[in-house]
Amino acid sequence: MKRSTRFFGLAIALLTIGATAGKGPLPAERAPYMRDLFPSTYRPLPRTDTLIVHATILDGAGHRIDDGELLMRDGKVVAIGHDLAAAGATVIDAHGRWVTPGIIDIHSHDGTYVVPLTTIDDKASDVSELSDPNAAGTWIETAVNPQDPAFARALAGGVTAMQVLPGSDPIFGGRSVILKPIPAPTMQAMKFPGAGQGMKMACGENPKAEDAELKRGPTSRQGEIAYIRDAFAQARHYMHDWDEYLAGKDDDRPRDDPRLDTLAGVLTGAIPVQMHCYRADEMAVMIDLSHDIGFRIAAFHHAVEAYKIAPLLAANHICAAVWSDWWGYKMEALDGIRENAAFVDRAGGCAMMHSDSPVLGQWLNVEAGKAAAAGRRAGLALPPEHVIEWITSNPARALGLADRIGSLVPGHDADLVIWSADPFSVFARADTVFIDGAVAYDRTDRRYQPRSDFELGRGPGSRP
Amino acid sequence: MIRALLAALAVLAVPGAAAAQTVAIIHARALPVASAPVDDATIIIDRDHIRSVVAHGTVPAGARVIDASGRIVTPGLIGAATQLGLVEVTSGPLGPAFDVQYAINANSALLPVARADGVTRAMTYPGGAATAPFSGMGAVLRLVPEGDILETPRAAMFVAIGNTSQAGAGGSRAAQWVLLRNALEEARRFAAAPRAVGPRDQLLSRPDVEALGGVIAGRMPLAIQADRESDIRQAIRLAADEKVRVVILGGAEAWHAASDLAAASIPVILDPETDLPQTFDALGARLDNAALLAKAGVTIAFSVSGNGLYLSYDAGIDMREGAGIAVANGLPYADGLKAMTAGPARIWGLANAGTLAPGADADIVIWDGDPLEPASAPVTVFVKGVEAPLGTRQTALRDRYAPGRANDPLPPPYR
Repeated sequence: MKRSTRFFGLAIALLTIGATAGKGPLPAERAPYMRDLFPSTYRPLPRTDTLIVHATILDGAGHRIDDGELLMRDGKVVAIGHDLAAAGATVIDAHGRWVTPGIIDIHSHDGTYVVPLTTIDDKASDVSELSDPNAAGTWIETAVNPQDPAFARALAGGVTAMQVLPGSDPIFGGRSVILKPIPAPTMQAMKFPGAGQGMKMACGENPKAEDAELKRGPTSRQGEIAYIRDAFAQARHYMHDWDEYLAGKDDDRPRDDPRLDTLAGVLTGAIPVQMHCYRADEMAVMIDLSHDIGFRIAAFHHAVEAYKIAPLLAANHICAAVWSDWWGYKMEALDGIRENAAFVDRAGGCAMMHSDSPVLGQWLNVEAGKAAAAGRRAGLALPPEHVIEWITSNPARALGLADRIGSLVPGHDADLVIWSADPFSVFARADTVFIDGAVAYDRTDRRYQPRSDFELGRGPGSRP
Repeated sequence: MIRALLAALAVLAVPGAAAAQTVAIIHARALPVASAPVDDATIIIDRDHIRSVVAHGTVPAGARVIDASGRIVTPGLIGAATQLGLVEVTSGPLGPAFDVQYAINANSALLPVARADGVTRAMTYPGGAATAPFSGMGAVLRLVPEGDILETPRAAMFVAIGNTSQAGAGGSRAAQWVLLRNALEEARRFAAAPRAVGPRDQLLSRPDVEALGGVIAGRMPLAIQADRESDIRQAIRLAADEKVRVVILGGAEAWHAASDLAAASIPVILDPETDLPQTFDALGARLDNAALLAKAGVTIAFSVSGNGLYLSYDAGIDMREGAGIAVANGLPYADGLKAMTAGPARIWGLANAGTLAPGADADIVIWDGDPLEPASAPVTVFVKGVEAPLGTRQTALRDRYAPGRANDPLPPPYR
């Protein structure tokens, strides 16, 4: 840490506005790692109060309500049950149809892995910043292209919130962002208001292979661990410097460091770690490491071997974001089994389906259906009202948003889907998707089928 | 001699291996594909072929009886375009002569997974196009649980047009078509005078022109991997000009040319989950591609999903999920099943495959649910009249780490 940067950054600003110069912080000054540089400008779409009747409702909180009703008012769920009073509300008859909370995709690259890929993407994709194994200073939201057609496809698949994560080539991938898949001209207009960020970390094959290829960082699993310890040690010093400065004990204003900002944010507990890990042994090492350093792992992502250590994950309150059936495409993915989510769940853990793909991100309901069916074949009782949590309330929990989304209880945001059939069937389609009580997608009404600028003007029928 | 001995030992070593016999599957809901569904069907398997599918049919004396009450029974599924059994999928110095049959590994861990998901046959094809636009020759595999899985080598010639092989053709799509047409011309010259020394300006080697012999004779299908409408129309033109049997693989924008494909009897093997412009060739990708093609009368089959990542790792469940998605987007159910059975059988010329018609190959799957629901799974699979074990590495891992074993005194490696 350089201590000779008094006339840097904010310190200069303070001088120019004539504040007390040089002697400690302004009363309201906060450590830089607590700031949101790109605040949300999201506004809900136009909405009316709506009553859904005659639906099979899975509320995401463990309940199933047959022939149920749900009332949305001012963008919130206000009541769920039977015979609700709903003066003035628009009524939707959902006879034979199902209602669930909106799907939350905990692991998306939409907006950064923008199709069609180009020759530039081959060399320099926005998914991962590759100049350094420590890309903690990057915020993936600054790369999100809201014109990615994948956002509208996810929405049509019933997704109402998604975490866009940086890729897994760096050890510290950077900060994630939580978006609503309501396409808009700017990222900020899609950004989930009041939601925090996560920090992506990666263990195993991807970072070490990338580092070896680029000759720039740790080339082994043990090297990755040492690297992580060193980076957090620096962040501790950085936090200390800021604490001293903000407490008025040291006049030298520390220099803003984007990397250490993020790591410090993690150490304060404000930014949970979203950790890419495949193997059981690697997850166990990361858990111990997190205890020693003092960071919180919200979820292991991919986690194809989570089933081997399901009780350990449950005991540490770490979710597992998994696929239903991907396996084998690399060595650390060799032991993937279809019962993974079910076994994690059975141990009392937090299982989630994730996409990692703009294709799969449209079918997370089917993913959950496949994973649950595998669990049932292995003898586990997995009723739909429980399985729905894998794609709704569990990811809400891992994102720190469980008090707002992921379950249909009074007071929560009215993010929900009316499905044409049992949502775990491949034949089910999202008929209507509500976000904050507003229709964001309607399968039978073209006015509510957003498409990106990229897809305009490409001849008749080019629209999906 | 040693090889024969090893093969014999392998037969002894496989548990549950059984010789084909007479089997009666009773009380089934049979979906024979070639004819209407039959409820409470009795399906008689006579060694390696199907004898009959009859409602309330009688069971022959001495037959093994399987009660399939409430269960759907279908023909074994056919993966129309996979890379099962292969690791080596690019052609090196060879073009049309590259031949995957020599690289097929019957012990690949992917094969039992595919079979446990209902796949009993698969076209396995080469990728890449080192000698643009040719990828080389694919082979049809029969997923018998033991013995040789190579059923039909040199079953089709594959070429890749557009993004996939553009680099090898000087960056030009136009060059790809010229190279392809020229190759067919060189093959015709060679076929007419095999002993003549090739002219100095011949582009292809002798093995390459020789490999194209089946294509120009109209015996070997020419599978053209292409997504863009313009390329699909070029393929229709090529089929007419050169009198070759063209199959479209990919076909994201094939729906644009559906009626012309139908008129030319050109089938399409498509990925039903493609609804994003993954490349600039696929800007018109849409989920009802399969429905629109089938409606126009095009024979369709399914490749595995556009995720690429799991091209053949989940060849069975992925294809079934794709079929379900196609049906959810307008494809009639019967056509969805057909595109995994009789469709690919027709495309690849497998005369006795893909149906439960009398005399058809005894590749049969009994399902625990709707086969187009990826959540369903086979309970019994017959390949060539022999019941195949459904265990995989994955089921072995599942059993080792099952929640009920959490309190075993010894750690998992001892289980």
